[in-house]
Amino acid sequence: MKKLVNIDWNKVERTIGGLKFAVIIILCFTVAMIIGTFLESYYGTDFANRTVYKTFIFMLIQFGMLMSIIFAAFLRLPPKKRLYGFYTIHAGLIIIGVGSMITYIAGVDGVISLAPNEPNRQVILSKDVLKFTYPEEGKQVTTELPYSAFSKEINQEYEGINVVEYIPFAEGKFVWAEPINSYPEYAPIHSSKYFFKNPFASEEILLTLHPESSSEFLSSQTMGPLTFNYMPKNLAECFALNNPSGIIIWNSERGDCFTPEERNLPVKSTTANNRFVVVPVNGKLITFFPDFSPFPVDTQFQVDQKSTIRSFSKKLFEEKPALFLFGDRLSYYSKDSKKWIVENIELKGKPVSLPWMGAEINLLDHQERFVPFKLPVAVVPIQKNGVVIKGDIRAVRMNILGREYWATNYSPLSLIIGGQKVIIEVTKESLTLPFELALTQFKMDKDPGTNNPASYESFLKLFSDGKMTNHHVFMNNPLKHQGFTFYQASYSQDSGGNYSSTLAVNVDQGRFLKYLGSLMLVLGGIWHYNLNKRKKGAQA
Amino acid sequence: MKALIISLLVILSFNFTNTASSAETFFCKDELETLPTQQGGRIKPLYVHATEVMKTLTGKGKQDDVSATVAFCMLSLNGMGLPTENKLMARIDHVDAMKFLGLPEGEHSIAYEALLTREDDIRNEARRTDTAESYKKSMERLFNNVFLYKEVKAGNNWHLAEVQDNSLTWVPLITYLTEEKVIAQKQLTPVDPFLPVLMRSKAVYDQAFGTRYMVELYYAKAGLPTVAMLLSILALASMVLFKNFNIALGFSGLSIVVQIALITLRVIISGRAPITNMYETVLFSGSGALLLGLILGHFKNEKIYVYMGLCYNVCTLMMINFANGMLTATISPLVPVLRDNFWLSTHVTTIILSYGALALSWILANTVLIKRKLGKMTRKEEATHADIIYTTLKWGTTMLAAGIILGGVWADYSWGRFWGWDPKETWSLIVLCFYTAILHGRYTSWIKNDRFMTVTAAAFMSVMMAWFGVNYILASGLHSYGFSEGGAVFLGSFFLAQIIVLVITLNPKDKASEELTPAV
Repeated sequence: MKKLVNIDWNKVERTIGGLKFAVIIILCFTVAMIIGTFLESYYGTDFANRTVYKTFIFMLIQFGMLMSIIFAAFLRLPPKKRLYGFYTIHAGLIIIGVGSMITYIAGVDGVISLAPNEPNRQVILSKDVLKFTYPEEGKQVTTELPYSAFSKEINQEYEGINVVEYIPFAEGKFVWAEPINSYPEYAPIHSSKYFFKNPFASEEILLTLHPESSSEFLSSQTMGPLTFNYMPKNLAECFALNNPSGIIIWNSERGDCFTPEERNLPVKSTTANNRFVVVPVNGKLITFFPDFSPFPVDTQFQVDQKSTIRSFSKKLFEEKPALFLFGDRLSYYSKDSKKWIVENIELKGKPVSLPWMGAEINLLDHQERFVPFKLPVAVVPIQKNGVVIKGDIRAVRMNILGREYWATNYSPLSLIIGGQKVIIEVTKESLTLPFELALTQFKMDKDPGTNNPASYESFLKLFSDGKMTNHHVFMNNPLKHQGFTFYQASYSQDSGGNYSSTLAVNVDQGRFLKYLGSLMLVLGGIWHYNLNKRKKGAQA
Repeated sequence: MKALIISLLVILSFNFTNTASSAETFFCKDELETLPTQQGGRIKPLYVHATEVMKTLTGKGKQDDVSATVAFCMLSLNGMGLPTENKLMARIDHVDAMKFLGLPEGEHSIAYEALLTREDDIRNEARRTDTAESYKKSMERLFNNVFLYKEVKAGNNWHLAEVQDNSLTWVPLITYLTEEKVIAQKQLTPVDPFLPVLMRSKAVYDQAFGTRYMVELYYAKAGLPTVAMLLSILALASMVLFKNFNIALGFSGLSIVVQIALITLRVIISGRAPITNMYETVLFSGSGALLLGLILGHFKNEKIYVYMGLCYNVCTLMMINFANGMLTATISPLVPVLRDNFWLSTHVTTIILSYGALALSWILANTVLIKRKLGKMTRKEEATHADIIYTTLKWGTTMLAAGIILGGVWADYSWGRFWGWDPKETWSLIVLCFYTAILHGRYTSWIKNDRFMTVTAAAFMSVMMAWFGVNYILASGLHSYGFSEGGAVFLGSFFLAQIIVLVITLNPKDKASEELTPAV
């Protein structure tokens, strides 16, 4: 084949190895980094990584720098004595480059979370994946999601699931969605949106009983000392009765209720003065201790948490401010008149005054069967004080049998497709360690007389090859095992006050080269710039 | 409570019998300043803590005619049930905050006693989400100050050492100063039983842990930053105005001794490398640059190095003495990740010294630019100066590269990664890249002597960005900070001033470049 373009390789070499190219490529690199730092400041680390630091173009600039360094050294061969420092610097940089490439290709950089006394061997890495779990078959399939800063079409089909789109940064926009399953007419699955206001604060509150609603929408909420409890609408009738025992028996499936007084069921007390009531259901007798649990106990005094028949004791909610909401009705205990008040609350009507510090409440919206849903919408994330405050949802849109479904990092999707259960979640790629770690204790010292942490320390048990060893990991004292290094990175505390520890996990095969190159760079710099007594000019 | 009231009576009766001198200060005397107290995770003399509290509350240490210690003590007495009078005033600078508090125009202070009644309002304002960030911040600060004022006034901010169950614990004044202690002491010193009771906490502490904390008292009282600044200014003046190099050298020597003493004292007090906050890095880079200037000047036999060192030294010392809003002298415990003296001292010291060396090049480059514009610079001088700048750049860049690598090794050692594109890391690499580009560009026809000055002066802006900008502008996002904070204002003014100098001194014709080859 005839060459169409005649490339003068010498010229190419001289250009890339030349000083002007070096200056240009260094400045390109610098400008990219400046943009990166500002993007990070505005939009967060992940966004900056996806738009600058981990992009192909940034890699290309770094590759260009490496080429420039190699060619520059190459051009100045055979060796001249006054350039020994220069050769050392450039060789050092090349070695650092090679070391970094090895780390990039083969290295591991992840985290492992250790809850107290729970052995773990899963390391979470940084890549986003979509995970399909088939619990009945015990099968798990993952597919990698694109590493991009903006939403991306995927259109991949897997066992009847069409993965349409991935949104790496999304914000939930509230919508009412069609329920996936069908429910009987009487089922209490309604949801309401209220507007609560007092002199200090105002807030929109969405409460729902719908079983398909995601975890961010619940049937109860607290605001300061006040609790909001959302209940099936028919229960308002029983609240209005003001029966002397204050006990209500209700059916969570049908949403209806009665009081013991209505059915002449006696409310008795045990010798320890605990109230109980026995209710006949479908020919069986079940016993409730309403002041202790909404669930009944059977004859062996085992609590039946699955029971749809439940009890409710209003007496428990007479001390502290508690508001019960039933869609278009509400109820609270009036300490003045010493009884439960039930009031109507009109949809989009006038606010109803509440007995606590000038508070009032409106009903903004009410839906009998729709599901409250936060529809993921692609956004540019916003970071404030080091925390991403907007756009921290990673969402995947799927099309299954002609219908649209979403899975996010906050709410996985659980479905039955072709009679088979599948759980689809947006998560991070993980790596299974060849050994197991367990946290025995997490210790946090504080500076004397303050709440500022002075040190974080994890005491670990390591199970490897049938042996157990004890280790102590703290700041500047990592644990090394089988090529993996574990560093104290972070911690969290659950509501029970138990600490969990997060360790950074790292494998870096390029470490030695990076250190060697660094040493050469610094020594070369000293040699070239500060030890050469002679006046020099590299190009002269 | 009963104990408190009785104590109060005792105090009053003691006061009646002793009305001759300083009737209002009760037992609050300057002797108390030597008492050890535990605050912010450290043991320090009361003088230091009281001064910090007073400075936080009112912006100044001494209150009218009484010392910070006495003012702090008097305010704490309220916690014992003794309503002492005070005129502590909060300083309000934000225009909207002044409006909210109903201050007339031009009136920037309001009494804390008046603010106490509006505490809830202030908190609500600080929590509002629909106001400007700077207003929110100023209200937050005010709320915190009111909280601190209340804490002091309740006698809860003054912690004293006491032996309980054979171990030394720190208790607030209201718990410490009990009726029994005072009455017991009254048998021995009927005139003033309080001071001995309080001073006993010092004796108890000293016996157990020694008097090392007292170093901080001498340190705080010596006012070394001011002394060093005056000496450096004198040195610079002798050099530039009076053209007497030997006197300048003498003052520089004295100043560097004072600065080394200052840094050493901080090391003794904190027990770690003196480079853990902005105040210390500014101080250290200034002293390092002066020392480097003196050494280089000596070996290269060139006075201009001393000039550069002094100029930069004066700049840093002025910042330390006057920019209190941005640089706080308070010594506090380190965050856990920095608690490694070896890496802290090697990595940060190298970086800060490199900034110092680069600052020398910045000083000289600007001097040449301005002198050239004024027509007071010959070509030959310019070439010599370019050579000198080049020398400092070589030092600065090599040290910076070493510092960044040391940082990488430290990060690798304690976090498991050599490099993570963290803003501070990235900006230090940006600085290195700029200076590397200049060093490379100097071999090409793009950067001849005349442009060399301009780019060197400009490149220092990247140092300022890496040093201050990352903390004051990038740290929590541009959104939250705006340009209202002290650091950001300082940095903005710096950039503006530097750009103005660059524009004014721009040499449009490039005439020098034709004749002179780079003398490197």
